[in-house]
Amino acid sequence: MIRPEDLRAHEATILERLDGVASTTVLDALESEALGAGSPVTVARRSLRDATPEERRDVGMAVNAVTANLAEAFAERRHQLGIAEVDAKLAGERFDMTLPGRAPALGAAHLVAQVWDEIVDIFVGLGYTVASGPEVETAYYNFDALNTPPTHPSRLESDTFYVEHGDDPEAVLLRTQTSPVQARWMQSHEPPVYIVVPGRCYRRDAIDATHTPVFHQMEGLAVDSNITFADLKGTLGYFADAFFGSGSRVRFLPHFFPFTEPSAEMHVSCFACDGSGCRTCKNTGWIEVLGCGVVDPNVLSAAGYDPWTVSGFAFGVGIDRLALVRYAIPELRYFFDSDLRVLDQFR
Amino acid sequence: MRVPLSWLRDFVDLPTDDPDDIVAALNGLGIEVEEVHRLAVPFTGVVVASVEAVRAHPSADRIRLVTIDDGAGGKEVVCGAWNFEAGATVAYATVGSVLAGGLEVGERTIRGVLSPGMIASEKELGLGDEGGGILVLDRGVPGQDFMELVGLPDVVFDVAITPNRPDAMSVYGVARDLAAFYDVPLRAVAFTEPASEGESAVQVRIEDPDGCTRFTAREIRGVAVGPSPLWMRQRLRAAGQRPISNIVDVTNYVMLELGQPLHAFDLDLIPSETIVVRRAVAAEPLRTLDGVDRVLDPADLVIASPQAALGLAGVMGGGDSEVSETTTRILLEVAHFEPTGVLVTGKRHQLRTEAVARFERGVDPELPPIASARATSLMIELAGGTAVGPLIDEYPRPHVPVVVELPGTEVARLLGVQVPDEAVAGYLRRLGFGVEGVGPARVTVPSFRPDVTRPADLVEEVARLHGFDRIPARLPTGVGGRLPSEEVIRRSVRRAMVGAGFSETMAFDFVGMEEISALVIDPDDPRRDPVRIRNPLSEEQAYLRSTLVPGLLAGIRVNQARHRGEIALFEVGTVFRKAQGDLPAQPRHVAFAAAGRLPAPSWEAAPERDVRDATGVIETLFTALRTPFALEQTPQTGFHPGRSAAVVVAGKSVGIVGEIHPSVAAAFGIEGRVIAGEIDMSAFDPHRVEFTAPSAFPPVVFDLAFEVGDDVPAGRLIEVMRQSGGMLLDRIELFDVFSGPPLEAGRKSLAVRLTFRDHARTLTDQDLIPVRGEMTAAVMRELGGRLRGA
Repeated sequence: MIRPEDLRAHEATILERLDGVASTTVLDALESEALGAGSPVTVARRSLRDATPEERRDVGMAVNAVTANLAEAFAERRHQLGIAEVDAKLAGERFDMTLPGRAPALGAAHLVAQVWDEIVDIFVGLGYTVASGPEVETAYYNFDALNTPPTHPSRLESDTFYVEHGDDPEAVLLRTQTSPVQARWMQSHEPPVYIVVPGRCYRRDAIDATHTPVFHQMEGLAVDSNITFADLKGTLGYFADAFFGSGSRVRFLPHFFPFTEPSAEMHVSCFACDGSGCRTCKNTGWIEVLGCGVVDPNVLSAAGYDPWTVSGFAFGVGIDRLALVRYAIPELRYFFDSDLRVLDQFR
Repeated sequence: MRVPLSWLRDFVDLPTDDPDDIVAALNGLGIEVEEVHRLAVPFTGVVVASVEAVRAHPSADRIRLVTIDDGAGGKEVVCGAWNFEAGATVAYATVGSVLAGGLEVGERTIRGVLSPGMIASEKELGLGDEGGGILVLDRGVPGQDFMELVGLPDVVFDVAITPNRPDAMSVYGVARDLAAFYDVPLRAVAFTEPASEGESAVQVRIEDPDGCTRFTAREIRGVAVGPSPLWMRQRLRAAGQRPISNIVDVTNYVMLELGQPLHAFDLDLIPSETIVVRRAVAAEPLRTLDGVDRVLDPADLVIASPQAALGLAGVMGGGDSEVSETTTRILLEVAHFEPTGVLVTGKRHQLRTEAVARFERGVDPELPPIASARATSLMIELAGGTAVGPLIDEYPRPHVPVVVELPGTEVARLLGVQVPDEAVAGYLRRLGFGVEGVGPARVTVPSFRPDVTRPADLVEEVARLHGFDRIPARLPTGVGGRLPSEEVIRRSVRRAMVGAGFSETMAFDFVGMEEISALVIDPDDPRRDPVRIRNPLSEEQAYLRSTLVPGLLAGIRVNQARHRGEIALFEVGTVFRKAQGDLPAQPRHVAFAAAGRLPAPSWEAAPERDVRDATGVIETLFTALRTPFALEQTPQTGFHPGRSAAVVVAGKSVGIVGEIHPSVAAAFGIEGRVIAGEIDMSAFDPHRVEFTAPSAFPPVVFDLAFEVGDDVPAGRLIEVMRQSGGMLLDRIELFDVFSGPPLEAGRKSLAVRLTFRDHARTLTDQDLIPVRGEMTAAVMRELGGRLRGA
């Protein structure tokens, strides 16, 4: 019969050896030796059947106590070893986190397209709908419907690209502005009209820093029963705030366009120098942003509207120009060059 | 147009001297100031002096001793110039003065004679290039500050005049706007009808009164052509005009001052004294003042003698009757021509003269007699001579003043600001309009404002003077905005392509035939027949693109040339095809092209892009646009014959995808393989997602491998299996393709993994035996495929 003191001696021996265990494999073997089938604890438990009541009580208590103590000690040791082993494994997996990541390829939307979306969204937020029309357009919609006299210089072959289509050599052209879409829209919609028309336009310009024969423009048109120059100022002031940042100041100077009367040019305070004068604004403190005006009565009449009961305002803004100005890009041609060194800067 | 401030002051007393204030006023008037030039004084300490006496230098032949009076007593100075005698008025550089270029003037002894200061030449004063003699003045009193005499310092405003403002194309016109702005009086042009003698034999006949509504002519006899005096040259130079001779300078001066172009003929060089205004005869020759021999168009209006054309009306005079040093008899033409004709003739002959710039806007028809009198007075003052006979004034189409009725509410209706009727009338009167009555007001438009014909035009005049900045700002809200589906699709396409690693380009729409035919090899392909521009910038840009791919291939070449290895580009844009109807067809496309390796860190071997990357992009794109599609393996022109396909949506071909043919790539100057694709965006029709709850029951997955002929596309196998796979077939994935032993030559193995799932119960292998048999049979029947390992 194993005595309680034998069991306690066993416990002490095992606990002593447990301190030296450094791996879970050795731990498993020791645990089997300490508590397994042939261990003094098991042998003692098995012998209880034949023991006297006193022995059963004394030895039984010792068996339970030693079993519990050892089990706890092993669990504790196993836990410690687990942490150490994971630590060791992770230590071996150290990786230089500053190496370039394995990034999924990401392209860049074209800057002009980004600005396009941005300004369209500003006006959609104001309740405008986006309209579009053909790039190859009739001279009627590009000029006649927009109060451009038959002799206006913009119609000349030196200024406008004409397209071979049909018999009349001057009937079909590459639109010089997005305004023909205004005319098309008004013909098929009754007031109120609140539209913006982003799109590609063409003028027979030689390429220089700020001119390319292909460019992008957004036209805006509001026609309603009570639209005035004040509405134009409020709307475009809101636009300048949204696009150039709040705190931008705007000014409107009289100008001339065939399809508006009165006409104005909108300038925005230079965001680079806040109006004190710098290279961006050529020392004027202002940057010319867009042309605008109250819709000419002839344009309303051509669309079948009554110029005495409805009125409107219109504006046209160069999308490329906005991009050019905002990012201080020196030459417009960068936009059309397909050079990834340029394109990818605007990812 | 350059407007000197000193010249404006001839007509208006401005309440400010600060150029910045004047710039703000001009900008506010719609006369945009593009630049402000400040003309500095290039000298100090120079005064006007009169020459009292001239005597020889005691010891030198080529210099003289000159006694002058500079208002502070007599002085004798040494002078090497011989172009003056006693009685002349000169510019005297006093001792201590500084001349142009920093030359300090002191007391110098020249050949033994002390000279206190010197008499200066134009060049020494920094006013011109004339250095041969000293400057002889036609005005000034001894002791007067010479700086003041020449109107320095001055400020010159370089202004841009909009096409609707003919009235502002002159110093006087700008002064008129400034006077209205500041509400100060405008002084009239100083002129007196010149005294005349005798009768002139000159006769004028206007044969085309539509083109020439008024023609005035005046003969001036006995003029002496020579250089203009300093004040005239100074003004012309400040206004950006080169002085030529007194007669020509006067015509330019009056044009700049009043906005009325004038022309002086040498009357002795005109073969007869009858002047005819008529249309040119076809192919009529004319040598213009610039020395160019021109062939005239029957639409060109000419000033002619009965024998030949003398000049292009309103555009440029002729070389044969040009005023020269020997001219003594002048015919001064001051006429009014209809704007469009001048514009068209100017464009036709590519002549952008000052006269064209004014006539094409519409010069004041009442101006010719005034400008003629002003010019005649100046010519006689500067060149001597006398006017002969009264002014000849043919005026077949007299100006009828335009009267516009302005409703009392119109200003507020269009501007959104209340301007009292009296203020409206005041603004208009200041600008030269006649106003009678209020609400409505009857407004008479002055002859110099042909642009004003309607109430809206008057409202603009009111706005200019009231000030745009005094109109309040109000934000109207639209009627509810949205993006049309076309715009939504455009954005989705761009997002998908950017997410797939492609960068967006924007190319010009212009292509050359060479570029198109390098890609579209098939001569019958409609893309080979692009829409032509009638007036292209060059033959390389003579057509509108019928496909976006050439622009992208050019983009790849550009980037390869810049040593960029990994290139992936896309463009969303319109292509153009010939069509019946009002306009060519203009579908919107998306296209992409890529070359080089897939992006990866440099130490990891990244695979080269191949055609599967192209079909992969198509998959990404159509998945993002939620549009089902299929690829149909058919060789595409310009593409690798075995590596290209048509993209098919709902049975219709909507695009192409594949690897560019190596010889096409080479023709575009590209190294290595290029993949590309192009889709008509009208194919994208995002379907509404029909939601299915994920099944709670496990799937049954098994693999089947078929042996088929080499020419059987994998896509066909999947199609056949899907069609025969029944309702429970959830997914088919191709996971292995191989050929070679143990297969016979011309055969290949395609292995697919099939996933079956039921939403109501757990499937067993037993359930799928029939469908497996169906699929195997279908593959055998339709593709001649045999189940491997069976």
